[in-house]
Amino acid sequence: MTLSRRTFLKMTGATALTGLVAAVPWVGAHPAQAAPNRDALHVLSRATWGATPPDIALIEQLGIEAWLDGQLDWQAIPDPRMDAYLFFHPILMAAPPDIIKAVEEDYGRAYHSLVWTRLYRAAHSNRQLYERAVEFWTDHFNIPSPDILAGKILDDRTVPRTHALGRFSDLLRASATSPAMLYYLDNATSVVAHPNENYARELMELHTLGADGGYSEKDVKEVARILTGWTLDWEGEWPAFVFNGDIHDWGEKIVLGRIFPAGRGIEEGHDLLEFLAAHPSTARFISFKLIRFFVADQPPDSLVDSTADLFARTSGHIPSLIKHIFMSAEFYEQVGTKFRRPTDLLVAMLRALRPGLSFTNSQWLLYELEPLGHVPYRWFPPNGYPHHSMAWINTGALLTRWNLAFTLARTDEGWYDGLRFDRNLMCPDATTVGEWIDQASDAILHAPLAESERGWLVDLIGEGAGERVPLTEELRLYRSSTLYGLLMSSPYFQWM
Amino acid sequence: MLNRRDLLKSFGLGVVGVSPALFPRWIPKLAFGSSATPARVQADGGRDVLVNIFLRGGMDGLNTVVPFGEGALYYDKRPTLAIPEPSTRPLTAIDLDGYFGLHPALRPLKEVWDADALTIIHAAGSIDPTRSHFDAMEYMERGTPGSKTTPSGWINRHLQTAAWQNDSPFRALGMGAMLQSSLRGAVSTLALKSIAAFHLGGREDQLEAIQAAIAGVYAIQAPQDLLQREAAQVYAAMGMLNGINPDSYTPENGAAYPDTEFGNGLKQIAMVIKADLGLEVACVDLGGWDTHESQGGAEGWHAELLTELGQGLGAFYADLQAWMADVTVVTMSEFGRRLEENASAGTDHGHGNVMFVMGGGARSQLYADWIGLSPDVLDDGDLAVTVDYRDVLSEIMLARLGNDKITQVFPDYAPNIRGIILPRA
Repeated sequence: MTLSRRTFLKMTGATALTGLVAAVPWVGAHPAQAAPNRDALHVLSRATWGATPPDIALIEQLGIEAWLDGQLDWQAIPDPRMDAYLFFHPILMAAPPDIIKAVEEDYGRAYHSLVWTRLYRAAHSNRQLYERAVEFWTDHFNIPSPDILAGKILDDRTVPRTHALGRFSDLLRASATSPAMLYYLDNATSVVAHPNENYARELMELHTLGADGGYSEKDVKEVARILTGWTLDWEGEWPAFVFNGDIHDWGEKIVLGRIFPAGRGIEEGHDLLEFLAAHPSTARFISFKLIRFFVADQPPDSLVDSTADLFARTSGHIPSLIKHIFMSAEFYEQVGTKFRRPTDLLVAMLRALRPGLSFTNSQWLLYELEPLGHVPYRWFPPNGYPHHSMAWINTGALLTRWNLAFTLARTDEGWYDGLRFDRNLMCPDATTVGEWIDQASDAILHAPLAESERGWLVDLIGEGAGERVPLTEELRLYRSSTLYGLLMSSPYFQWM
Repeated sequence: MLNRRDLLKSFGLGVVGVSPALFPRWIPKLAFGSSATPARVQADGGRDVLVNIFLRGGMDGLNTVVPFGEGALYYDKRPTLAIPEPSTRPLTAIDLDGYFGLHPALRPLKEVWDADALTIIHAAGSIDPTRSHFDAMEYMERGTPGSKTTPSGWINRHLQTAAWQNDSPFRALGMGAMLQSSLRGAVSTLALKSIAAFHLGGREDQLEAIQAAIAGVYAIQAPQDLLQREAAQVYAAMGMLNGINPDSYTPENGAAYPDTEFGNGLKQIAMVIKADLGLEVACVDLGGWDTHESQGGAEGWHAELLTELGQGLGAFYADLQAWMADVTVVTMSEFGRRLEENASAGTDHGHGNVMFVMGGGARSQLYADWIGLSPDVLDDGDLAVTVDYRDVLSEIMLARLGNDKITQVFPDYAPNIRGIILPRA
């Protein structure tokens, strides 16, 4: 499989000498930058898991704002393909005792249902922006699945998927009372004699105020006291959230200067969550994180300010915040500046190859994410998979990303569990090498390549015989994976 | 009509590939060295390979190197978790000096200690008071407690400021899918999950063409941006790893690495050291130490992690015995854990912790500016930090890595040099 070092050097030496076709470095701006529909493509690159021709047609027809409004009204978007799919994964909709039963009966199947569905929804749901928002909140309220599978399946449905485009305070309350969260961050075992600070700390640091949100170690201890008694009912049919006054600290607490008087039970916990959700540090922190996810690794101050302001005015109405971010001037200055995270990359490839690619239930695709460190729900610390591009750029990862592109592009040659790629359905109308390259660039990069890059690809794919060389079956057979793989492993496809 | 051979030929010659000038100075050995002929790790002498192990989650140092000499001050605070005093019974601490003892799961490290190659520094850590995992790790790895805006990691700045420069793509290696923060910065570093998987895929009959084409589109001959720089590193590293067959690797001296990501990471670092690829620093992580609940004492969660740590370090030491005079391993963790156990039979975030140093710079010594566990000297209920972790790393830089640019690696910091680390012979 690998070239020996000698062959490798020989090859490079030989080509350097002959140089029949000089390689053209693709160092310019992404071709979509120059496209007339640049703004719409930019919105799609961040608000979907990879633009497809129908997405592009729709946003051009509606205009950006109307398209966003439509996506944010996610429940009104028909999603028949997902409805049909979910019929076969009843565990995702089951009542808690039935989830537990299904996990106990077949852990592997339940795990696959959860994790594979994440990819399937990203690739196929019509509610694309909603699925992006779910991804954001899944990271924000991170809970890894392996040890808490049943709880995670319930949490996924009742926390991010219920409130991703709702109000932040509702989302926070759902998370704070989610059995998986109570278990994962140990609040379920926090008692008055020895409060466990784990959840209290992450609630402020990761979920609401942010590490620089102005709280102290003393505040952490006080919040832990307020939340004593927020635990799980281990006696019932399933470990539901319950408040247990026997282990609650009924004394007075002070958090960030606010007094929580003595003698109050569960209600002071709810007051605390409302207080944190409405705190200016939270408005700023959530705005900052949303902008880092959707816009830029270094969120522009002006946009953080205006979004935090809107957070305060709308009581944390998430769709308003997202719309504001996507309609801001700052957003349109950030074309091609976010590095696709591994799952974004894989799903974007699946969507780009969709005319020829069909997949139903592929364990194999999930394995491909493992060496890239981005299997859904497998990030163990509570801060969630990083959103910052730099976390994902490294030498080993780049090679793995190239390999993913070429491996996926050549799945037409073999049999893969749950996956089929028919190369004849990709760019089916192309009759010459030139047309093939143009259609492939359009399908994968959504814009024509620069002349120099196109000319170089014509020479590479058409063996120097020009762009009018007829596109034969044999050329398709030999060059499909090289053409599609190269476009998907190019620098342009790594950024969005 | 083209035939397959013409197709291949045109591919092979059709594009300009990688300039051989990319790797003129590092000609890898095509086999692993063995202890019969150990290459000096750095042929030009003068410095060790540094292996930095980060124990993520906040290791409980007080149950790792147990201050049993504190008596009730330790035992009363940990009624269910404490490690019993050294005795002839099983599952008791392994005595080191009559006051401190190793957790019983760390038996492999006792052998390293007995071989005079393990230094333990207790009550060490970062002086910043944060009890946040993420802030504490970032501060520690960036080398600037209290400042998250430092753009690079301390190891990267060490490489930037070292008197020598080395253009091997294996100069700095981070084991895992993602690069450690300590390695981030201007010097290019390699994140590697598996040596065996480090080659280009795609159609075998067009591999050369694909290799050449990607080299072209990423402009690896004259990289201009970050991604192109990484791409150039991929090519250089692929070229060097072609001589290495990880399947043929047999650890020496009966070393048995745990079959875990951590164990395999250490094994692959050993391979790269023995293959003499120009390695200067390597980072590997062992996570899972956030034992808020059901931590266990001599057995259980924490003990299992220590077993993995001890077996990994023990295997690394045995495997690289002939190299060890030129290798320094140092472990750290973002913070220790609270002295008093919580109601969940676990421990919450604390402060001071244990660092292990193994290899050339170590001798069997337990160093601590120990002020004890009485309530008046605790830092908010936690073991106080009396040795700044930067002091230990500064000593390693000076004594083992030949770099005295401490103020550039740890800005605004004047380390206290205590002579804990042995200078190179």
